Amino acid sequence: MNPALERPRNVFLTGVGGHGVLAVSRVIAEAALACGFDVRRSEVHGMSQRGGSVVSQVRYGTRVHSPLIARGTADILVSLELLEALRHLHALRSDGILLANEQRITPAPIGDLTVAYPDDPRGICEERVSRTIFLPALDIARELGEEKAANMVMLGAYSVLAPEIPEAIWLETIATAFRPRFRELNVAAFGRGREVAFRSAGAEAAP
Amino acid sequence: MVKRLLTGNEAIAEGARVGGALFASAYPGTPSTEILETIARQGDVQVQWAPNEKVALEVACGVSLGGGRALCAMKHVGVNVAADPFFSASYSGVGGGLILVSADDPAMHSSQNEQDNRHLARAAKVALLEPSDSQEAMEFVALGFDLSERFDTPVMLRVTTRTCHSMSPVEVDPNARYEPVLRPGYEKNFRKNVLLPANARMRHEAVEERIAQLEEFGNSERALNRIEWGDRTIGVITSGIAYQYVREVLPEASVLKLGLTHPLPRQLIREFGAGVDELYVVEELDPFLEEQVRALGLHPVGKEIFPITGELDPDRVAEGFGIEALDTGIEPVGGSLPLRPPVLCAGCGHRGVFYTLSRMGVAVTGDIGCYTLGALPPLESMDACLCMGASVGMAQGMEIALRAAGDTRPVVGVIGDSTFVHSGITGLINTVYNGGSGTLLLLDNGTTAMTGHQEHPGTGVTAEGEATIALDYVAVCHAIGVRRVREADPYDLEALESAIREELAADEPSVIVCRAVCRLVDRTPIADPAELEIECPGCGTCFELGCPALDGSSGQAMIDPAVCSGCALCVQLCPFCGLRIHGHEAVTPEPVA
Repeated sequence: MNPALERPRNVFLTGVGGHGVLAVSRVIAEAALACGFDVRRSEVHGMSQRGGSVVSQVRYGTRVHSPLIARGTADILVSLELLEALRHLHALRSDGILLANEQRITPAPIGDLTVAYPDDPRGICEERVSRTIFLPALDIARELGEEKAANMVMLGAYSVLAPEIPEAIWLETIATAFRPRFRELNVAAFGRGREVAFRSAGAEAAP
Repeated sequence: MVKRLLTGNEAIAEGARVGGALFASAYPGTPSTEILETIARQGDVQVQWAPNEKVALEVACGVSLGGGRALCAMKHVGVNVAADPFFSASYSGVGGGLILVSADDPAMHSSQNEQDNRHLARAAKVALLEPSDSQEAMEFVALGFDLSERFDTPVMLRVTTRTCHSMSPVEVDPNARYEPVLRPGYEKNFRKNVLLPANARMRHEAVEERIAQLEEFGNSERALNRIEWGDRTIGVITSGIAYQYVREVLPEASVLKLGLTHPLPRQLIREFGAGVDELYVVEELDPFLEEQVRALGLHPVGKEIFPITGELDPDRVAEGFGIEALDTGIEPVGGSLPLRPPVLCAGCGHRGVFYTLSRMGVAVTGDIGCYTLGALPPLESMDACLCMGASVGMAQGMEIALRAAGDTRPVVGVIGDSTFVHSGITGLINTVYNGGSGTLLLLDNGTTAMTGHQEHPGTGVTAEGEATIALDYVAVCHAIGVRRVREADPYDLEALESAIREELAADEPSVIVCRAVCRLVDRTPIADPAELEIECPGCGTCFELGCPALDGSSGQAMIDPAVCSGCALCVQLCPFCGLRIHGHEAVTPEPVA
């Protein structure tokens, strides 16, 4: 029997191709399934490896139908990049939480070069979203010796906002989701993300 | 049984396995590609990448004729290519069960149109199944094989991007052993399988009878078509992914959920229509169900409140029903954000080709693949992109019209390796046969890149990872009768341009093969990253390449050494000789052309 989470948890994830957004959403979905929740996860493939914006959505709860989150109903927006956070802020409900990696990735110099990367993306986010958590996920991953683990740092931070999924399930899911040689690194990155988010001011109980 | 989280595509693959398919074939195309990839990974069902969808279906038809169950997967536009065998296989019927998976792409996430292939199933008079999540995707494959054999019909399993690429839980039996379902004892059946007119006339009668029997079946088969009675003031007829949105938005409403959508269960629809006050039809794209429901004398509300274009989602369904959001959410950040469209990768072999073409004043007919990105700024060197293989025929046709109008601009066709094999070769035969004189650039990156790097007949590796004979493009072109076939290095801009100019000047058809392995397949650096030796004066010439390793946000060129592959195109362009690359001594002082 599914555990009770009458209103499904809506998690909107975004980043840039190559960031590992889809890996994060996959682990969230698998962990939720392992807890006995009904789960829907959506992503759009195609050109994501070629530096484009990437979006994935995960919904879990007692019973879920649509794989897509209705506009303005995401509980949490997880963004691995600041510009992509701005692009999708309106996915959040008015009291939703933004969890963002502080990294900035300048788009390739094509198209309209007069439209610049915003000077203060963080400020714009803070102005509009009541609860924001910013993490230096890339720096943390670098300290661990692998930039690519930034996504697992973000997953660790997300886990703090999702008490309905116990820590043991997260660790088990991470252990089975990736190749064994990355296990130690992924678990370490997850742990660091969890720590930092716990310490962060916004990390009390989930919505 | 255990619950596993599967995408619709993975679930279809699982369905093929548990449904006892002997064989599966496909040509890659978003959103269908992972179906065959997953079946290949499972290692049970025999798999083949075909050169195109027509061949894929023909091989599947042969397997079916011989008594094996066969599944054939393709994207929606691929069904156009396979339409010839598909429509006639409807008349022959099947031996072993035969399923064609049509993966439609509403919203055109990665397609050139958003045709609704339910029309094709109806036109071909075959059974049409529409699953609404991964569990059904798996079940409908196994059920589809049974239906196919029981009613002697090919089955179209129609899915959409959202069902293909969404994950939901599927109950699977981890101990289920793979066992192909076979109909042994093949016997020749002239009247059924040789579609001479006299035989085909009789087969058409059989097809009409079969459709009537299928309709009767659909009226009572609850695994496919079911009424979920709820609040009877609103009744919604729906199918596929739209069902999930309806359930989400109107949890209390009565719903007629259709899984078998051709032929429609008219009796069940009448019963449902009579049981509700107001009748709605919610479906993606065309009013396929709605028009047939209307033909029954019912008066549903449909496309006047739900969009006919693009994908549905919970918002669009709620808007149609006039349901307002409880929470207005957060205002979107205005339109002042820089876009992040997909780009050709750093070091991509296509970049030099399109940069060169953009400066030559030629018309370019393009084709389907990563290289379609060459149509976008800043390269903007493609005049048309229509369908797989069209670059070749269109180049010849355009030349006919331009010359008639006294326009001497050369026309160049550009096609990728996999696309050339798919349907470029026949176009080239036409060019030679009918005395065309254009130049075709064959961009060979050694893989089917855009769909995620599948093997094809030119790569020398099968879908099962076995070594096989690789198609020799140069030999093929020669055999067709193209006398001028040459290779050119797409990383050497000067040599490439002079090769194109020479071939355009020749008064006969020519092919230039530009070979550069896809950067996502072989990430070995071509050379050391480019470096700036002087302070960049910011002329912007190198930005015309649209390379993601170059950052121009400060006005000066900055090279990201982690992204740069050392392809040295920017080095060849820099008019100030400010860019250097290790191992590249000769730097052209002037930009090409």
